[in-house]
Amino acid sequence: MSSVKPHPRWWFLITPRWLAWHAFAVLAASGMLWLGDWQFHRAEGGNALSWAYTFEWPVFTLFGVVFWGKTIVDEWKTRVRAEAVPAAGPDQSANGLQLPGTAHTAGRADDVEDEDDPELAAYNAYLARLNSGGPGR
Amino acid sequence: MNSRDLLRLVVWAYRIMAYITGTMLVILCFVCIPLQAFGHNEPVHIVGTAHGILYIIYIVVAFAMTRFVRMKAASAGTIIVLAAGTIPVLTFIVERWVTRTYIKPALGQPGATSSEQPVLH
Repeated sequence: MSSVKPHPRWWFLITPRWLAWHAFAVLAASGMLWLGDWQFHRAEGGNALSWAYTFEWPVFTLFGVVFWGKTIVDEWKTRVRAEAVPAAGPDQSANGLQLPGTAHTAGRADDVEDEDDPELAAYNAYLARLNSGGPGR
Repeated sequence: MNSRDLLRLVVWAYRIMAYITGTMLVILCFVCIPLQAFGHNEPVHIVGTAHGILYIIYIVVAFAMTRFVRMKAASAGTIIVLAAGTIPVLTFIVERWVTRTYIKPALGQPGATSSEQPVLH
């Protein structure tokens, strides 16, 4: 065994950069919840405007958590793709690039239309270009 | 509805929200806050609350847009787009920049950086 065993895929999550990002996410989330709590007390004290903010801060907190989750999923997918690209053909890797929220079948239907739609072909070329960019960008 | 129509819809929603939220913030900062300095508190309350609610819709729509044009979540671009809704005038500038840099290429329009034609009309 001359080759060093590679880290598992989730390893990036505990690199210093990502740890800093997790710490920031926790701080930001608790900060926003604290602001919501503060506004709630102001609202109870008779400040009508604070009622709006009482509900806004938890929504922002939730959004922040979703955002943090998405950054992890993005990085994860980039890594999966980077591993898959050398092995699989261009068709296979393009499948991993379906737009979020669109069903796989919809993507297949688009593939059929591809030939006679230059705009869609350009879009697919753009996706392919993004895909060939490799990890990082 | 294919994925490109969906992309157009999301981009359209993003633009609408960028302009409404941006306009509301400009009114808040350059009209209502000066008025508050002269003792009129009502405008700040009304427009401030309106902007707060609009901004929630804005970040959701804008984040969806960044996903659709394949901007990375953990990128300066995405964070600028989301934060733009809280900084006066920035939404308008960022909307143009995003259109040029991400939306036009995503819609498959070549020469996106040089041409100034609007996309959705």
